[in-house]
Amino acid sequence: MTVPHSPIADPPNSTGHLVLTYEPAVPVSRGKLAVWLFLSTEIMFFTGLIGTYIVLRFGVPAGSWPAPATVGVVEWIGAVNTFVLICSSVTIVFAMEAAKSELPHRAKQWLLATFLLGSLFLGVKAYEYQSKFQHGIYPRSPRSLLYDRADLNYLAGLKAELDRLQGGNETSPPVKESANNVVANDVSLADNHRVASLGLPVALLAAAPTSIVESSTHADTLALIQTGLVQWTQQKVGRTDDPQMQKMALSSLAHQIYPLHENKSIETYLANERLESTAELEKSKIEFKQAEQALVDLQHQLEQLNTKLQSLQSTIAASGSTDPESANNLAETKQLQQELVDKTTASGIAAAQVTKLKDSIKPLTSRLEAMDKFGSLPAGVNLGLHLKLPMVIPSGNTWASTYFLLTGFHAIHVIGGLVAFLILLPKQLGANRAGLLENIGLYWHFVDIVWIFLFPLIYLF
Amino acid sequence: MLTAHEADCETTGTGSTNHRVIFVWVFLLLIALTGLSFWIANSHLMEHRVLAWAAMIAVSIAKAMLVVMFFMHLWWERAWKYVLTIPTLIMAILLVTLLVPDVALRTETYSRERQMDAAEAFISRAADGQ
Repeated sequence: MTVPHSPIADPPNSTGHLVLTYEPAVPVSRGKLAVWLFLSTEIMFFTGLIGTYIVLRFGVPAGSWPAPATVGVVEWIGAVNTFVLICSSVTIVFAMEAAKSELPHRAKQWLLATFLLGSLFLGVKAYEYQSKFQHGIYPRSPRSLLYDRADLNYLAGLKAELDRLQGGNETSPPVKESANNVVANDVSLADNHRVASLGLPVALLAAAPTSIVESSTHADTLALIQTGLVQWTQQKVGRTDDPQMQKMALSSLAHQIYPLHENKSIETYLANERLESTAELEKSKIEFKQAEQALVDLQHQLEQLNTKLQSLQSTIAASGSTDPESANNLAETKQLQQELVDKTTASGIAAAQVTKLKDSIKPLTSRLEAMDKFGSLPAGVNLGLHLKLPMVIPSGNTWASTYFLLTGFHAIHVIGGLVAFLILLPKQLGANRAGLLENIGLYWHFVDIVWIFLFPLIYLF
Repeated sequence: MLTAHEADCETTGTGSTNHRVIFVWVFLLLIALTGLSFWIANSHLMEHRVLAWAAMIAVSIAKAMLVVMFFMHLWWERAWKYVLTIPTLIMAILLVTLLVPDVALRTETYSRERQMDAAEAFISRAADGQ
């Protein structure tokens, strides 16, 4: 550089050469300018993400956005994480101030504190993600089993999933690709294996009443869900034309699998249904007994008729055709034979009645059994029994996508900051590195600001 | 003659002890504001949801301003800060606003058939008699 870039020439030094000074266009170091330019793009990126979240969230059909508690979001955990990040913002500025004041040892301590706080934030985040996964809420679709409404589509999906879990009859809807199929089978095997290796009773002991543990295995439980909840609802929906009744039956099924919140109308509906079913079962049992008794009586009468007929026929055979009584006997035989035919028909009808009543008792008993077993699970079948059956969370998929995208991108930025801290930690943090600490601090504060907006949007709204 | 870093120090001020006091105050304010939004979310203000949401966003903006102004030193920076921040904010706001007609208002134009398959409303606790 031989051309002076400033019109005011610098005074020549002792050797007579010009000494040029660098005057930056903006009064900050190049590193800081670069960080601020980077942060400008980051501001646009996160405003885009957060803004899209807001737009999607308030654009869903009215009243269909899940409340935090519905999807297992715990307010105070979010508040604690906010506190942790704010603390880390303070520790990083203190680290910079200490470095500026030539206190490298103290700067290192503050930087280490920032690193630990950032790690704590990530740990809490990981715990929160884990609790989402336990609820069956995943960021990707094949294992996401969330339905937007309790309708026949949901009923079919639930039924197919139960069939698949029971591992048999391929009544599940055809899976589009063979690759998907393989994945689905692997998942079911893994699930079965997991349950088997856990030993379901052990897993259940904490959550479920002991009666379930004692009396049923995993397969029995699935079969009972299929008959007592799903098939029952299917029949109930099929039997009525009233859309309100159908809706109630489907909603109560969804509620039993995964209750969204305490719901008095569904609880009342289920309690009433239980009373009705119990009464119906009692009635059916009495009718069954009566029918059975009638059948036994008929069979008894048939036997008597048979013996009577046989004795009459032997009398006729012994007395010969000349006997004056034989004509009478023959007439009586004919009458008895006719009676025998009638009674046989009647007993056939009675037997059919017995079978029919027996069949009508079966769904009632499994319904009541299911209500006894699953009614005592306040968190529903899915959470209470550690199952991942399809569940109804209106707008749940939109919620899961936006939640994991927002918090995931934020977490990636936290990881980026932690890597920068790790690189800086072993170095001597004197005044010459204060600028570097400040630049990393700027980035870290930005990560904090993003969380400041995410906290109310995700946890409190 | 100043190096760029020294120029930095000049603009951000060298009175470090002064700054430390400010940082502690900002920290306490941030904690208090976090508590405030937590309190709003659990108060009767939630019965007027839009009001509560507006209040919580206002608290968040206040917190963000505190962090930007003091932790990120923009308070002490010279006018160059506006060159970076104002265009960025305009772009960011435009980006989101452009989504509103197609995405935020999408359910307004749903047909009856489409509505039948859309996510259903939660049975509200009020309607449930609780």
